[in-house]
Amino acid sequence: MRSFRSLSTRLTVQFALLFAAAMLVVSAALSTVISGATSRRVESQLQSSGAVYDRLWQQRAHELQNAAQLLARDFGFRAAVATGDHATMQSALGNAAARLKVRSAFIVSADGKVTAIDPSIPASQSERLWDPLDDGRLTGVSVLAGRPRQLVAAPIMAPTLIGWVVFAADLDPREMRGLERLSAIPLRAAVLAESDRRWFEAAGSMSALSSQAAGIAEQHVRGRTFEMRVAGENSIMLAKPLPTFSGREQAILLLGYPKAEALADARKLQLGLAVMTLLGLLLMGFATWRAAGRITRPLARLDEAAGRLAAGEHVQVRVRGTDELARLATSFNEMVGKIVEREQRITQLAFNDVLTGLPNRTMFQQQLEQLFRGSEGSGSLFALHCLDLDQFKVINDTLGHPAGDALLVETAHRLRHAARGHFVGRLGGDEFVVLQSVGEDRDSIDRLAREILGAITRSVMIDGNEIVSSTSIGIAIAPDDGRDSGMLLRNADLALYRAKEAGRGTYAFFEESLNQRAQERRQLESDLRVAVDRGEFELHYQPLFDLEHNCICSFEALIRWNHPKRGLISPVDFIPVAEDTGLIVPIGAWVIREACAQAARWPEQVRIAVNVSPVQFHRGALHETILRALAASGLAPGRLEVEITESIFLEGSETTLRLLHALRALGVRVALDDFGTGYSSLSYLQSFPFDKLKIDRSFIHNLLTREGASAIVRAITELANALNIETTAEGVEETAQLMELRAHGCSSVQGFLFAEPMASSDVDRLFKEEGGAIRNVA
Amino acid sequence: MVRGLLAFAAGLALSAPLNAGALTVRVVDSAGKPVRDAVVTLYPSTGARAPKSGGRYVVSQQNLQFHPFLTIVPVGADVSFPNLDNTKHHVYSFSAAKRFELKLFAKDQSRTVHFDKPGVVALGCNIHDQMSAFIVVTDSTWTGRTNAQGLVAFDPPNSPARLTVWHPYLRAPGGLMQESIAAGQHIASFSIRLRPPPPTMPMDY
Repeated sequence: MRSFRSLSTRLTVQFALLFAAAMLVVSAALSTVISGATSRRVESQLQSSGAVYDRLWQQRAHELQNAAQLLARDFGFRAAVATGDHATMQSALGNAAARLKVRSAFIVSADGKVTAIDPSIPASQSERLWDPLDDGRLTGVSVLAGRPRQLVAAPIMAPTLIGWVVFAADLDPREMRGLERLSAIPLRAAVLAESDRRWFEAAGSMSALSSQAAGIAEQHVRGRTFEMRVAGENSIMLAKPLPTFSGREQAILLLGYPKAEALADARKLQLGLAVMTLLGLLLMGFATWRAAGRITRPLARLDEAAGRLAAGEHVQVRVRGTDELARLATSFNEMVGKIVEREQRITQLAFNDVLTGLPNRTMFQQQLEQLFRGSEGSGSLFALHCLDLDQFKVINDTLGHPAGDALLVETAHRLRHAARGHFVGRLGGDEFVVLQSVGEDRDSIDRLAREILGAITRSVMIDGNEIVSSTSIGIAIAPDDGRDSGMLLRNADLALYRAKEAGRGTYAFFEESLNQRAQERRQLESDLRVAVDRGEFELHYQPLFDLEHNCICSFEALIRWNHPKRGLISPVDFIPVAEDTGLIVPIGAWVIREACAQAARWPEQVRIAVNVSPVQFHRGALHETILRALAASGLAPGRLEVEITESIFLEGSETTLRLLHALRALGVRVALDDFGTGYSSLSYLQSFPFDKLKIDRSFIHNLLTREGASAIVRAITELANALNIETTAEGVEETAQLMELRAHGCSSVQGFLFAEPMASSDVDRLFKEEGGAIRNVA
Repeated sequence: MVRGLLAFAAGLALSAPLNAGALTVRVVDSAGKPVRDAVVTLYPSTGARAPKSGGRYVVSQQNLQFHPFLTIVPVGADVSFPNLDNTKHHVYSFSAAKRFELKLFAKDQSRTVHFDKPGVVALGCNIHDQMSAFIVVTDSTWTGRTNAQGLVAFDPPNSPARLTVWHPYLRAPGGLMQESIAAGQHIASFSIRLRPPPPTMPMDY
């Protein structure tokens, strides 16, 4: 049954069965028609044979009757019969019988006496002839001496009826065979006669019929043909009644047509039909099988192809013809093509960076792990170069993301070119990696790094802006610098930090010390987290000297960290960490609270300046922090000065400005720190009315030694004056510098020349001793 | 003369019902129809009385037929057979009562035959098969033929008697049936079976 599950087999079987049923029905119908026609033919042949026999019978009867009548009319014969002249009667009968070739003849007188010539027939039987003769019967079959015979009689009139002359012709096998020979068909004939409830038979080639058969024949007299076993073979029979001589007897002409012979032609036809049917069925089965195969073979091919497709193979099926299956195959092929395309696309998306087309982090990881596996035990080296575009964030923010993307694409292009033959990937953002198989030649690492730096550190035109990009590279070498991909990447990153620290546009190798530093930094981070709560921070205050009024007008609050183990830690060391980790927000809030609280105890004209990190600006709730600090300390808002750097504008200048305006609305002053470094833009000055510009210490440092420095400082002070903004010079250490600044019209100065940052207790003491002013410095 | 004798016989039969001791015999066929020309003869147990003997009777041959078809004559009667046709006739009888052959080969030729034994004499012509006639030679005075109603009447002596019925086509050996009647019985019935009269043979046969 399993094979029936195949479509081809099912189609074949179904169609074959259908055709077989149709053919069998047709064949059966034809066979029935043939049988019917044959039996009609046989019946009509039998009937016509019967008719022939009738005619023969009648001819014979007529002949006998003529002879009998001739004899009966002979005067001498009549005289002999009338006078009972037996000798004459017998000789006359004998003469006539011999002429007619009959064996038995009788004279039955009207009063029942019989004169016979055949001694084999007992008188008792011949005397019984009187009744039927007296009834007027003159012809018919009668059984005499156990034999059916054809009797023919003629009355002897003298002139009244004095008797009958009767001839009895034998119905013997010879006669029957004569009849059989006359027939057009191979006939078997028999005459059956019943007398005293016994059947007697005169047969040709048909003989020894049982009485049972006679009974059957009797039932079918005057009927249609019927079948009977005769002499061991089935025959088609026709039973015709024959006239009997006596009413008590009956006679049947039985014609038999051996069925085998009768149906031989029909059998041949039917056999032919059966053979044709069988051939037809075979042909049909074969044709159906072929046809089903034609339908299902492409389906099977498609099925197999679909299986292979599912297994991941990219298959194509052969398309033949233009029918539906061919179209299906074409569609399948198209579908396979599209699946392949989509797979490639998915693979690309999964393993490639969309923007640059470079392999992404996932693929890099695989590649790296593969390299690790390949190099295991071989002793060969490979280097991981981690790249990071310098100042990429600034470019992105100032020129927009499309420009940043364009720079990334260009960088990728250059990198690919510079590091051709090596794996180049983009891990995200402006992070790129290059995997370099090194072998033994460590110098090749340096060469590649320099080549990359050279390629990237070239100006590029983006949206009409010329950008000079640069990159830093951190390099880690496997297997020395990392036994696995995670470690290698981490170490390369550390090397990258170092390169950045060392100055942009350089490369650095990983060293174990870097790892040490990284650990230190992590320690610092965790220490920072608890430092605020433990009260490890302290504020020192550096005075700002007002050149116009020659008094201390303000203090800048500067944070100090008294680490319980490491002692005093410079803000330069921990502020970046605090900014990176976001700890600057609570630290900064503490600074504002503490500074406000201190300043509230100071003379009213003295202000407090607090540095605010961009991180605080953007992430901390600076506005609320300041409000709360002011409220808690009771310090007048106008005595609080917030010092910001230009870098706060790098992230969303809109919100920055809104916050600045909000602070100004409180009455808090805003100073721009480190002015003149970075991307100092005059547009900031236009967009926000700063209260003060703090001129960066680098300009003050060079004031007396470098040509343009003085001019720049003067330009700044003049610009500030014009905008009605105060100026503070930072890092004033020499009197000459002070003189110069005073000459340029600088509002205030700050630096060691006047005072170093001091503890709050010192500030308090200063106010007590000096009465709140340092007047004679200048 | 011949006619007178015939009238005698008819009168004998017809006058019977008038007598008080008369016997009426009725002859019907198997279908119940009256049979005419059946010859009924009564033989009283006391002995038959012979009819008046002698007399001359004529059975002529005319138009290829015997006339009359049935003649009842007493024993000892002479019957002449005149040929009134232009053809020859060969009159014969093979009957036991009287066997004879008359070759009447000329017109108006006549022969006479003397019937001296009782019985039925069937007449035929050897030339013309269809010609048939019967002469009943009776030895009893109570002999009559049935009329169209199948009836014949007698005035017999008051004694048991034997009745015979003969008819040319009666189906019985000898064409004869008989029955006994009691003395004083007035009615006797015969139901007889008749075979169809022989078909008239074609002339050219």
